[in-house]
Amino acid sequence: MIRFILRGLLRDRSRSTIPLLVVAVGVSLSVFMHAYVTGIMGDMVRQSAHYSEGHVKVLTRPYAEMAHLNPIDLSILNASELEEVLVHQYPEMDWVHRINFSALVDVPDSLGETKEQGPAFVMGLDLLSDKSTEIKRLHLTEALVRGRLPQHAGEVLLSEQFAKKLSVEVGEEFTLIAATVYGNMAYVNFTMSGTIHHGSPAFDRGSMLIDLSDARDFLAMEQGSAQILGFFADGFYNDDTALEMKNSFNTLEHGEAEDEYAPIMLCLADNPTMALYLGLGSQMGMWISLVFLLTMSLVLWNAGLLGGLRRYQEFGIRLAIGEEKSHVYRSLLWESLAVGTIGSAVGTAIGLFFAYLLQHYGLNIEAFSENASQSVMMPGIIRARITPVDFYIGFVPGLVSTLIGAGLAGIGVYRRETARLMNEL
Amino acid sequence: MKLAIYIAFKNLLGAGLRTWINVLVLSFSFVAIIWIKGIMLGWDHQAKSQLIEWEIGHGQYWHTNYDPNDSFTWDDSHASPSDTLLNAIKEGRYAAILVAQGVIYPEGRMVPVCLKGINTTQQVLKIPTSFLSQEENSKSSAIPVMMGAYMANSCQLKEGDQFLVRWRDKDGVFDAREMELVKVFATPVPTVDAGQIWLDCSTLQNMMGLNNEITLLSLPSNESNELLFSNEFQFKSKEFLLSDIEKMVQMKSKGQSVFYLVLLVLAMLAIFDTQVLSVFKRRREIGTYIALGYTRSEVVRLFTIEGGVYALLASALALLYGYPFLLWQYRNGFKMPVDVAEFGIAGSNHIYPLFSLALILGTFLLIAFTTLLVSYLPARKIAALNPAETLKGRLS
Amino acid sequence: MTRLFVSFIGKNLLFIIGFFAITNLINAQITPAEVLERVDANLSANTRVFVSEMTIHGKRFSQTLQSKTYSAGNSKAFTEYLSPAREAGTKLLMLDDKLWIYTPSSDRTIQLSGHMLKQSVMGSDLSYEDLMSDTKLTEEYEVVSMLSEIYQDRKSYLMELVARTESQSYARRKMWIDAEYFVPLKEELYAKSGQLLKQASMSDLKQIQGRWFPTQMVYRDMLKNGKGTEFRILSMEFNQAIPEHLFSKAVLR
Repeated sequence: MIRFILRGLLRDRSRSTIPLLVVAVGVSLSVFMHAYVTGIMGDMVRQSAHYSEGHVKVLTRPYAEMAHLNPIDLSILNASELEEVLVHQYPEMDWVHRINFSALVDVPDSLGETKEQGPAFVMGLDLLSDKSTEIKRLHLTEALVRGRLPQHAGEVLLSEQFAKKLSVEVGEEFTLIAATVYGNMAYVNFTMSGTIHHGSPAFDRGSMLIDLSDARDFLAMEQGSAQILGFFADGFYNDDTALEMKNSFNTLEHGEAEDEYAPIMLCLADNPTMALYLGLGSQMGMWISLVFLLTMSLVLWNAGLLGGLRRYQEFGIRLAIGEEKSHVYRSLLWESLAVGTIGSAVGTAIGLFFAYLLQHYGLNIEAFSENASQSVMMPGIIRARITPVDFYIGFVPGLVSTLIGAGLAGIGVYRRETARLMNEL
Repeated sequence: MKLAIYIAFKNLLGAGLRTWINVLVLSFSFVAIIWIKGIMLGWDHQAKSQLIEWEIGHGQYWHTNYDPNDSFTWDDSHASPSDTLLNAIKEGRYAAILVAQGVIYPEGRMVPVCLKGINTTQQVLKIPTSFLSQEENSKSSAIPVMMGAYMANSCQLKEGDQFLVRWRDKDGVFDAREMELVKVFATPVPTVDAGQIWLDCSTLQNMMGLNNEITLLSLPSNESNELLFSNEFQFKSKEFLLSDIEKMVQMKSKGQSVFYLVLLVLAMLAIFDTQVLSVFKRRREIGTYIALGYTRSEVVRLFTIEGGVYALLASALALLYGYPFLLWQYRNGFKMPVDVAEFGIAGSNHIYPLFSLALILGTFLLIAFTTLLVSYLPARKIAALNPAETLKGRLS
Repeated sequence: MTRLFVSFIGKNLLFIIGFFAITNLINAQITPAEVLERVDANLSANTRVFVSEMTIHGKRFSQTLQSKTYSAGNSKAFTEYLSPAREAGTKLLMLDDKLWIYTPSSDRTIQLSGHMLKQSVMGSDLSYEDLMSDTKLTEEYEVVSMLSEIYQDRKSYLMELVARTESQSYARRKMWIDAEYFVPLKEELYAKSGQLLKQASMSDLKQIQGRWFPTQMVYRDMLKNGKGTEFRILSMEFNQAIPEHLFSKAVLR
């Protein structure tokens, strides 16, 4: 029977091609749309995660309480040891060290006298080591406005606006002044290798990216880190896993029991703003997807209906040569099931393919605008996100609606006289 | 043409359910596109008007040295406005602000804050300055101050709490006083909230020893006031002050355009499919038209119009349920399940969408045009039909 | 720290000169002027060369810095840090109201001015400005009262000073002076509003070149949490000849 139906579908193009095409296009759109919505809804969360929150982060409790003040003296001191523990226990995560602090930039004139001075927010992160994942994570290459990324110790990136304000040119040296973990002032020279565009007014005004080891030397932190951020390998936050990881880490003893500075782990959703955004993301994503699925279902329902109507003439002939009405009806349903299944499968594959492209490469929406500069915070790149749901979500409209459509169209077989059906010619 | 539309309507209505499914899908897209665009427009408008209401007025004058983001400039960015202007400020026609630096000590750590003295009589900005007037607060010796909810929360202070602020007056003399938080106000504009303490302008002027001096001024309207200002103040236009928001909203809008695209494609898919079937099933009809003397292009037009009528029916249906829905949204707003202010952008928890005639007409034209295009493509096939064959009902 | 020490020890004495006229004092056997004169005899000198230690107590870390300071009068001082290794070679030069800092790590001489002067010195409870303040107490402050008081089991004189002009960082000061050795034991600095801002307490009196001298001082910002900053004098020489080149910018590099 199945073979018969398939053969019929394959031989009669009008029975297969257009319905299949419609189902496949519709399903692929649904799948793609769902991944797209999930992607852009996670966008804001992703930016914050990459900038400051991580998917999970490890820090000392006193630091966590005053994190908005960047109290580097409350940092994790044995960060390398701790990283080993983390890598060992949670090898699937990407662990990175971050040190944020406030500083003063002092730009000298040709005589070495102070020419310009300005307060800076400095972010210390791994820019130089071979295994660094940060440049890709923060889209630094794309966000570069002038010059190049740091390649040697002592090279830093300034936000373009800040560099302009201080009138520092690429390759020029300036002195960074900030308090070390001991509280005393350190004065160290750095060279600006390039400038970047963050896309966030606060960061563009006065911020600086500096290599992690430079930051450690500068702040006298040795192996310290203000925070160790953990990122999921696929780049997407997973609340359940993060929570599980946090609980397992925090129940373990780290260092001495009485140590006020023992590390704790927090997950992204511990930040109330992030929690709200995560909630918003899944809620909005759900609603938008629902609207699309509904629309899609209608379209496919219609397609199923049309698929049935197309064949009234054929049904007439089949009834005329003595086929039972119920048999004709059932075979119509079987055929639409086949069309729905194949169409949904093909559509899901196509949808996933495009969603993957959009997830992997991203769509540069900034490229369409006049000032084509990209930035770190809002990279102007839209990314989709494929979730397990995407593998089956398309089958709902693809199968069910096609079946309902065919089912409704098939009712005509019962209602009308054989002769009338013949006449539909 | 009239006949063509009449026939088209008859044909479509006769097709029953499948017509209505198409019309429903199309009207869905219609309403959804207008809705999403309306929300973006509303957001843009709302964010801007909130900034105007809370912070910038209809433009500002800044002391030439003033840079809101560089606290080092604040020590040197104040001057005395002319007497005419001083009177106008006293009457509350302008919001005058003196900006100074201070330090507070939550948990014994030094935290720099921005002290903003504002004339309590002002009627330009929504900041509830009346809470600062001295008469109300004469019981306490502490300086009455206000904070935004975000700031109060991050300092862990609530109304009635007292805390110590240290500052240096114009000569650099250290001074420190207790301040009493008399009002925590909720604002959708974080730039009047985070890191700021609001107090009576004359109090801050006394504290600083800067009699009558101010840093900036917000204007109540677009009137040009050049004459009122010395060259110590510089005009900042509303457009300049709103440019950050502008960029933000533009960026977001781009991300939404994919929605329109997919919605449109979905609707077109349905119509395309229907049209293909129409042409397939109505060959005999087509043959008859041609036999009656219609040219082929006229028949193509007939079918195209038939498709186009979908757009009309969809608009009518959209009006039927879209109008009450959009009106309801317009009145009650779209509730964001998050506190946008915390994200550092102006906005509020409700977005009231805006629907302009241009938006609705534009969307209608877009949909009508694409519908016609999609109807035309399958109908083009008709031109290739052999009339004799089609009359017999055969596809050539 | 150096200048502060210098200024504290040195400058407070200067107000001796201005005090003979003050009459509105308690009926002690000794006048404020005489007290300050005796203090001056102990602490004042044309030049001082001393090695000192400063311990900064943070919330979590404490660090001790050792330095050698040369000072002449109240307007010239040169300090070089000796340890720890990170800070060794850092030099500070103060001439009148100017302050330069040289760090080997940046190999630059930076003049600290404006907002930088408000930063804390080496993480201590003092700002560069505190260090720089060249306040002539006698000229800028008026003694409004002097009381006998027991301070930490020592008989002492408590003096209250009020700024004469509007441009003093601290509107009011209180000083406790040991009634036997004529050495300051404690000082409190107040804001215009009367709020206590900073406090310094001196101890470990030693006799050096026939003078009594406090060799330990704890300085605290009273609004901040913490144990404050400690100074210890390790060695002190009075009235030694200091080569003039130590007080020029050339010495910094």
